[in-house]
Amino acid sequence: MNSEKNNDLKPTAKLVLMGLVAAMYVALTSSFGFGIVQFRMSEMFNHLAAFNKRYIVAVTLGVVIANSFQSPYGMIDVVVGSLQTLVMTSLAYFCTRKVKNTITKLTITTVISTLMMWVIAVEIMYMTKAPIAFWPTYGSLMVGELASMVLGGIIIYFISKRIDLTR
Amino acid sequence: MMNKLIVGRFVPKDSFVHRMDARAKVLLSIAYIFIIFEVTNWLGYLIMGLFTIAVTSLTKVSLKTYIQGIKPLIWLITFTVFIQMFFAPSGHVLWNYWIFKVTDIGLLNAVYVLVRFILIIMMSTVLTLTTSPLAIADALEYLMKPLLKIKFPVYEVSLMLSIALRFVPTLMDETERIMNAQRARGVDFANGGIIKRVKALVPILIPLFTNAMKRAIELGDAMEARGYQIDKPRSRYRILVWHRRDTMACLVFGLLLIILIIIKHFI
Repeated sequence: MNSEKNNDLKPTAKLVLMGLVAAMYVALTSSFGFGIVQFRMSEMFNHLAAFNKRYIVAVTLGVVIANSFQSPYGMIDVVVGSLQTLVMTSLAYFCTRKVKNTITKLTITTVISTLMMWVIAVEIMYMTKAPIAFWPTYGSLMVGELASMVLGGIIIYFISKRIDLTR
Repeated sequence: MMNKLIVGRFVPKDSFVHRMDARAKVLLSIAYIFIIFEVTNWLGYLIMGLFTIAVTSLTKVSLKTYIQGIKPLIWLITFTVFIQMFFAPSGHVLWNYWIFKVTDIGLLNAVYVLVRFILIIMMSTVLTLTTSPLAIADALEYLMKPLLKIKFPVYEVSLMLSIALRFVPTLMDETERIMNAQRARGVDFANGGIIKRVKALVPILIPLFTNAMKRAIELGDAMEARGYQIDKPRSRYRILVWHRRDTMACLVFGLLLIILIIIKHFI
């Protein structure tokens, strides 16, 4: 795969690739689904933003699609969830830009993604008008996100050994 | 796995709600969340409840399907309701043990939170049950158009959305085939420790990524050969049409909002 120089992709092919990565996000969301504590295996794709900024848009679009026909909160989750992903992956990209070590990159992305779950906790709190439920909701969402990001980080680590995700 | 996605949550029927424009449904499902904020008492919740049941019955989809939509969140709902019930900051104390305190206001708020949760989920499910993912993507593209003024790449984003939606079933099919190929080589996805099971996903994702890159190059070339140019406006195959029924639905929502405001301020 290293012979496939991603940087040499034409602009149209780059656009298509972003669409395909978004499709992979949706495919994995559907396969491994929503759980009791929002366990989404596809959240591991957030790690990709640490390798190439192109994946910021790809993963955000994946969230838009997955939430628009799967999330129980509907359109609000499409808007809030995708904006949260956009900010989260952008932060991950900017914080890991100068980091060379893959494990450090993945760790930073895991921490950012887990902490950023406050956005979803606030969304749920406002929708249900239950302000005292913020911290427990945030806690349960963080547990789910941390689990998907740690497990996903292991997968992305092994993939990055075989495919150059930065190119 | 394939069937799960093709069916998705969309249930094809011929109902008033199914025939509505996807843009109207997207806008109204967002509006519903804001309207429910106007509800502060039991009468408001009763009206919202009756309204939501009326809308769900208009979709001709069984109530069982809506209840299934609530199931994945049952733990989160229970959790939130219990927190609301046992940690109420004010009200007349009915029961007290250690850090737990049940008050009359806490109990009432717990019931309101439960009803609000169920109503929001039911109304959100109306959109996904009655609108195909492609129609939702079209609606989102249309609703994003004002962003063109701030030079947001609406056409590129909508193209990526369409490509993603087109390839989701293909990729799921491919995932299934890769999994079967790996199973034939002796990979066990169902047993073993968590690390072993997670590592088993690596040989699935590597070919998926590799194929995605190859496919991107091929599809990009094919699109350019057919005259596709980035930054240029595109014509549409599926045209969304706003009917009188969509305006009517918006008016009903407006009327509901007025009634709820009256109840909130005068009753």
